Order: sequence, then structure tokens, then C-alpha cells
Amino acid sequence: MQKAPHVTDYLTRHCADDEYGCLRGFEAQGGYRAAHTALREMTPQKILDEVRQAGLQGRGGAGFCAGLKWSFMPAPEQQPSYLVCNADESEPGSFKDRLLLERAPHQLLEGILLAARAIGAQKSFIYIRGEYAEAARVMQRAVDEAHAKGYLGDDVMGSGFSHDVVVVRGAGSYICGEETALLESLEGKRGHPRVKPPFPAQRGAFDRPSTVNNVETLCHVPHIIGRGAAWFRSTGTEKSPGTTLFGVSGHVVRPGLFELPLGTPLDEIIFEHAGGVADGRKVKGVIPGGLSMPILPAGELDVAMANEFLQEKGSALGTGGIIVMDDRTCMVRTACVISEFYRAESCGQCGPCREGTAWINDIVTRVERGTGTAEDLELLVDICDGMEGQTICAFADAAAWPVRALLKHFYADFERHVREGVCSFSGSFQL
Amino acid sequence: MATAAGVACEAEIVRITVDGLEYRLHAGPSLLAALDQIGVLMGEVDIPHYCWHAKLSSDGSCRLCQVEIDGQTGLQTACNTPVRDGMIVHTRSEAVVRARQTVLEFLMLNHPLDCPVCDQAGECKLQDYAWRYGAPNSRSREPRRKLEKRIDLGPGVVLDRERCILCRRCVRFCREIPRTGELAVFGRGDRSVIGLFPGVQLDNAYSMNVVDLCPVGALTSRDFRCKARAWQLESVEGVCGGCARGCNIWLDVAKGEVQRYRPRRNDAVNDTWMCDAGRLSYAEIARSDRLDKAWIRNQESVLEPVSVASAISEAARMLAGLVAEKGAGVIAGIASPHATNEDLFAFKRLLDEIGTENSGLAVPHGEADELLICAEKAANATGARAIGFEDARSLLERIRGGGVDGIVILGHDILTAGYLDDETLLGKIDSVILIDTHQSSLMRVAQVVLPARHLAEKAGTLTNCDRRVQRVRPALAADSELLTEGEIVHRLALALGLNGFEAGYDLPRVSRSLAAAVPPFAGITIESLPSDGAQLVSDGGEKGAVR
Repeated sequence: MQKAPHVTDYLTRHCADDEYGCLRGFEAQGGYRAAHTALREMTPQKILDEVRQAGLQGRGGAGFCAGLKWSFMPAPEQQPSYLVCNADESEPGSFKDRLLLERAPHQLLEGILLAARAIGAQKSFIYIRGEYAEAARVMQRAVDEAHAKGYLGDDVMGSGFSHDVVVVRGAGSYICGEETALLESLEGKRGHPRVKPPFPAQRGAFDRPSTVNNVETLCHVPHIIGRGAAWFRSTGTEKSPGTTLFGVSGHVVRPGLFELPLGTPLDEIIFEHAGGVADGRKVKGVIPGGLSMPILPAGELDVAMANEFLQEKGSALGTGGIIVMDDRTCMVRTACVISEFYRAESCGQCGPCREGTAWINDIVTRVERGTGTAEDLELLVDICDGMEGQTICAFADAAAWPVRALLKHFYADFERHVREGVCSFSGSFQL
Repeated sequence: MATAAGVACEAEIVRITVDGLEYRLHAGPSLLAALDQIGVLMGEVDIPHYCWHAKLSSDGSCRLCQVEIDGQTGLQTACNTPVRDGMIVHTRSEAVVRARQTVLEFLMLNHPLDCPVCDQAGECKLQDYAWRYGAPNSRSREPRRKLEKRIDLGPGVVLDRERCILCRRCVRFCREIPRTGELAVFGRGDRSVIGLFPGVQLDNAYSMNVVDLCPVGALTSRDFRCKARAWQLESVEGVCGGCARGCNIWLDVAKGEVQRYRPRRNDAVNDTWMCDAGRLSYAEIARSDRLDKAWIRNQESVLEPVSVASAISEAARMLAGLVAEKGAGVIAGIASPHATNEDLFAFKRLLDEIGTENSGLAVPHGEADELLICAEKAANATGARAIGFEDARSLLERIRGGGVDGIVILGHDILTAGYLDDETLLGKIDSVILIDTHQSSLMRVAQVVLPARHLAEKAGTLTNCDRRVQRVRPALAADSELLTEGEIVHRLALALGLNGFEAGYDLPRVSRSLAAAVPPFAGITIESLPSDGAQLVSDGGEKGAVR
């Protein structure tokens, strides 16, 4: 058996229990109770209102209010509309959805049922990242179980509501986590983000109104419906209620997932929950929310992990993937690794992103190798300016932010490379 | 045709302001499409763009068409920002200028700058925009990407991947217009390249339109490659003679020869497209089998070259003799569907004044499709019918019956249309006078052969399959011995002393007579015809062309 994950609260409390992964075990812990009640006794509008009042923020990175997103869906017509669960978790530093998919598939299915009911979707797609083979297998088994039990298909739980769930596997591309690229890929096309408008709620999957929600977002829904918006708002901050799964990786003693209330201080997560940095070394910088989010220097770790506070520090919660780097880390080398990722994963559609990601990576690599100049460092900032907000999707922003933040907070590292013509960090390996 | 922008919409008319000038246009479509609809885009309003094209779906990826709109934060791409009433747009603000510079710098990072050897130089949007909107220098120190320089995509098109800026117009064209979808982007990020799907070639009937669409020199025409520089070319408005569609074209001329045909936009006819067969048909102008002199069959029954004037006199002598001996009823004429309305009208008058009703028209047929290509493989069959020429089959019956002793034939369509297997039947006629642009086996039975100008060498009008009359202009200066069919028959009529033919051949006068004499042409004269043509007035009772 796998080592039990570290858990604290409602989303992950039972994730260590193998039985929780099957329908019987899930129901034994109170699973599907919210769906039983809501599908029969609550109108779709009531479900939507409850989630909206709960203030549930999307957990996929952008933090958009889930209930508000649902309200963009038009009234149901003869033609179908869709709910799409974004399980293409591919932000480096994020591994929360994997746990929810593999260890609590029915929790997600219950969330999907409730969300689909609220928005009037006839069918849901769970788009699972290609590398998550086990997650796809577990989800498919759960879907089959739910079908057999009458929790999916025609007349779910005798409520008159019919719903089907289709598990779809991606082919392994970071950009397919962007909701419109995901829709393209779902339709069997190349994963290129779409120009908006039209937004997915107007024209989404297969030209029909669609809502795309992250796995974790949907997993919160049964708990909100089961216990009410007020209960949900009793944890977290006023603007960012509820818990979330912080994934801590990098130079910490105890890397892993920690379900904690939103607003938990970053230093508490690193030093208490993740055990701090080993061997008496110090933190140099922390990426607070997955690779795209701007890095925070060691002096700014006393921030509460919620968007309203992180934004004051020039960063954001993103997917809650916390990457800790200790004082051995070469930040130029870090910029190389990050920029290489974005160069590899840019879909190539928009000129500024396609060319900008490559250009940044070329320059940063030169700086790391010792042939960079002071002008290069200025140019990097200019390139970031030319990319941010200049493209169809937010990928170019996601590629530019980390580089800009590394330059801002760790300019000395870059300057030293330029001055000395070499990378003098012992831990930095050959490119 | 499915087009994103070209759809005429009933939408409300709104007012917007661009750089301080007010425009009234349709609400709904994107700013670029709406400005294009009223014909000011890239004229009065200058919004540079690569990926957007009036006849293709919107892509939004090149990011060059960004503009500033009052009340909206940041810049907006004009290609997918819908027009709204009262919108105030700035295309020259500091932010726009900077954004264009940035976009162009990105696109130029890996461009090979091989303009000196690039066919596109001189008509390249990357060159033009970099010059007009780009920063003077690149700040890049990185080596440029090395990619394949010559990939044969199909019989007509060559791809240079280094020059490509990935606007994907070619990809969208193949998917949306011929719907063949041969092309796609392969690879991701800065490894993205245009390519063919495995096992296919870019060989659809419209493949070479991607060369026109390509804003840079990535897709070049194999036919035109390295033949001429863009700045040496003089472009003349014309109409393709390959089929009854009459696609509007530019005839690009250099060194006294037509170097290529390119489609000319006409939303009522061919949008911005033309088929490959039509595009390559310019080669017939200078083909080695062009007729360039007149011939008369001598005493030994051998054709010998003579002046055009002598050939016309000889033809007149023959026809006059026959009329005097046997009456006008033994004279016949076969019209060419390649000739202009004016040529055909002059020919019709010749036959009428001689006093014969024996005439016919032979139209070659071939494959047709649902896009542009028509079954009738000539540009003016509709015009010929409107002027009064009917199918040649009954005339051929009359010839078989021995009722024809003299015939004037325009062109050799009677053979290519498959009405006759060979020239044998016509050999039974005493006097065959042939007026044609190219040599054919009809010359074996002709007593007089007169060379005629090609469509590229003359002025006139043509009537397409949708009864649209369109103008052609001479792109090439023809030899003085080379006359139009109209002028030849006019001189023949003068030599015959027929009524109503004034001394000099004057095209505008012929055109006015046509408008006055043939009801469908009422009001349509060569001098008043707009450059996008005009519809024939009514259905004159003749059958419409087979599309």
C-alpha cells in the first residue's frame, strides 16, 4: 500500500483509506448524501446560489468565482450543454488533483453531478492529463460503478435528472490545461487556445455552451451543498473561503500535500507542515502557486496564502503548488529551467509567445553560461513587456512573470553571472 | 462559399471613429472585417495584419492588428473585436506603435532576411511592415533558426520554412475553401512548422492561392519562382479566359511578356481566388503554336504567308464570289466562345449584312466543381448566346447536307468541343476562312488563315456564367499585323462593301452599337463598365450557361 498522504480536512480526510475509492466505501463516509438530497429537493438555481454564496474560488489557477462562472451558462435548450472537468493538472509544482482523482473519485463524481445539475448540463467530460494513467483508470472504474448503481445515466437517484460522464485522456501537453485549448483537444483538434469571445459558456465544447471547472473546485461542491455556504465560509479568509490543497515541493524536509484553510501563512506551511529546510540551510525563494506564479524572496514568506494577500506581494495563489528553494540555488539556473519549460510548451500560435519564450530561454541560458551582458538583462524585461497581455491566452504571461520576478528579486545573481562570466553556484549543474 | 467576413449582413449601421474620422458600417463583424466591407482597410485606415484575411476565418494569432479603443484597457486585436456603435479607435497611438514594433521584432527574430534572393521581395508584407512600423534594428544576438529552405508541397507550391511567420492562412485556406485540408502546423512553440499531412500533396485545384495568401516568401509558386522581381512587374486588370466563371485577375507583365496571372478580388465573382489551371493558362499567350501571320493557300494547295491585308482581300474575294454565284445562303459562320462580346457582335453583324442565318457556336466542356471551376471551358459562351449564336450542331447538319460553300470560323472550338472528330467535314467546303489565335488542324482545310489577338492583347468585355459583363484591357502591345477578331471581320465587311460598317474600327463605337442593338446589353458599354463588372439586363431568352 502507498504511504498515507498527509491530510487535515474534509477533501482529503479519507484519502488514505483504500475503501474510500470505491462507491461503497465512499457512501460509508457519507458520500453521495448531498447529491441524494439536492437532486431531489433543490432546484438547479438553489444549488447554484448556494455555491455562489459560499464564495468558492476556482482552484485551477485563476481563482475565478465558481458560482459566478456557472451563472454565465444560458438556460437549458433542446441541444445539449456540457460540464467539462479540467483534470489536465500539469502546472509544475502542482499535484493535488492527482490525489483527488486517484483516491477520491466518487467525491469528484458527486461534485460533477451537483455542478451539472446547477448549470443544466446533460453530459460531463473529465479531461485527464495523458500522463495520469492511473487516475484515468480509477475514474473510469468509478464512473462504471456509479452507472451500475444508478448514480449516473438516466434518472439519477430517481430524481428525473439524467447525466453521463465521459472520461477522456489528454495526450500530454501543458497548454491543454488552458480551458479553451482543452476544449479543442477534447474535440480531437490540436490544443490551441481559442480567441475569446465567444467564451465557453456561449460556445464551448462541440460548439455548445460549456463550463470548465478544475477537479478540486468540483470536489468542494458536495461539501458546500451538504453543509451549507455558511459552514464553508467558516474556514479560510473572508474573500477566499474554504480549504485548499497546498502541494509543497523542493528543498523541504517533508514535501507533500497539505489541506489547509486558505489564508494559512506561507511560512507556517513551509516550516511547520513541510518541516522546513534541511541541514540548517535557509530559504532563498519560494514560488507560491505553481511555476507560473512570480517567486517570493525569503523576506516575504509571512504572507497569508490567499489571492488578496499574495497579490499585494506581486504574486498569486495559482494552483497552490509551493516550490521552495534554499540558499544553494542559482536563480539564473532556475530561470533557465523555467524558461525552457515554457519554450517547450508554448503552443506556437501567437508570435509574441512562440518567439518570446524561445528568445528569453536563449538569453537566460547565455547568461547562465557566462556570456550574458548587462544589456541582456534589460532586454529580458523588455521581452517580458512585449509578451504580457499580448496573446490569445495567458500562457505568455505565465512564461514572462517568473522571469520578471526572478530578475526583480534576485538581480544580484544575474549581475554576478554577467560580471564573472561564469556561474559560481556549486550546486548548479552543466546545462 | 463559407466566409467569415464576406457575408452580407442585415445588421444595423453604426458609426465609429477611427483616428478622428467617422465611418458608418455594419455592427457585428470584427473591426477589420467591417472596415474591409466599406473598402477603407489598408487605404484610408491602415491597420497592418498578417493572419486575418477577408475571406478566411479569423485566427487572432499574429497580434499585429492591435489598436487602442477608448474605454477598454490594453490594446485589442482589430481582427476579433466586434464593431459597436460609438467606438473610438486609435491606430497610431504610442501604445499601438510600440506594440507593432514588438510584434515585428518577434517575427523578425528568426527570419532569414534573404530578401535579395526571395521571390516575395517587393510584395512582402514582412518587408513592408518592418519598413513602415518596425524598429530600425533587432536587439537579438541569438543565432537564427535553421530550417528547410525548399520543400515541394505539391506540383505548384514550394515551401521555405525559414521565411514562414506561421500566420496559418495557408492552413485555413485548405480547410475552408477547397476543403481539402492538406496543410497543418506540426510541432509546438518555436519548433512549429507548416507541413503536409503524411501521404498527401498540396495538389487541390486551387492550391496556388496559398502563394497569394502567404504574406511572406514562405510559399512561392514553382511556376513563377525566380522569373521576375515584383518591382519589374506591371499589373493590368483582366479576366481569366479558362472557363465561364471569368475570374478577375491581374496580368503581371515584364519584359514584354505576361509572367503570371494572379486573382484580383471581386466578391461577386471569385472573391480572392482562382483555380490553378486558370492561373497557369497565361502560358498559352506566348506558346510556340501561336498564329503570328496570315496565310493563303496558293495554286499548289500549299499555305503561304501573306500580309493580313492581302489575306482579308482574298477572303472577301472568295465570299463575294460565292454570294454572287450561289446567294448568301451558302455562307456560314462559327463563333468562338473565347472572343469578346464586341468581337462577336461585329461577327454577328457581318453575317447579318451578308444576309445569312447560318451560324453556330461550339463550347468546349470539361470538369466543374462547386467553387469556381465551370464546365464551359471558355470565357464568353454566355455572351455569344446573348448576342444570338446558337449551338453549332444544326449548322453542322447543314454542312453535311452540302448546303454550305463558304465559312468563316473564329477559333477551333468546333474541334476541341468534340463536335467533330477532325477537320474532314469542313474540308468539303470550298472556302474556309479561319481566324484564330493558335494553330490547329483546321489550318489543313483553310483557304485563308488570319491571326488574332489573345485576350491578353486586347480590350473588350466578356460575359460570365452568371451573366456578369466584365472588362479586359490589353496587357501586352500586340504586333501591328495582329488584329482582334472584331477588327478582322470589320475589315472583311468593308472589303465586301457591306452596309453600316464605317471606315475605321472603333471599339467604343462597337460597344455602344452592341448596347443599342442587343437588349440584354442595354446600358452596358465598355466605357461605363465598372472594374467589377455589371449584370446583363434581362434574361434575353437564351439558355444560361452550364456552370
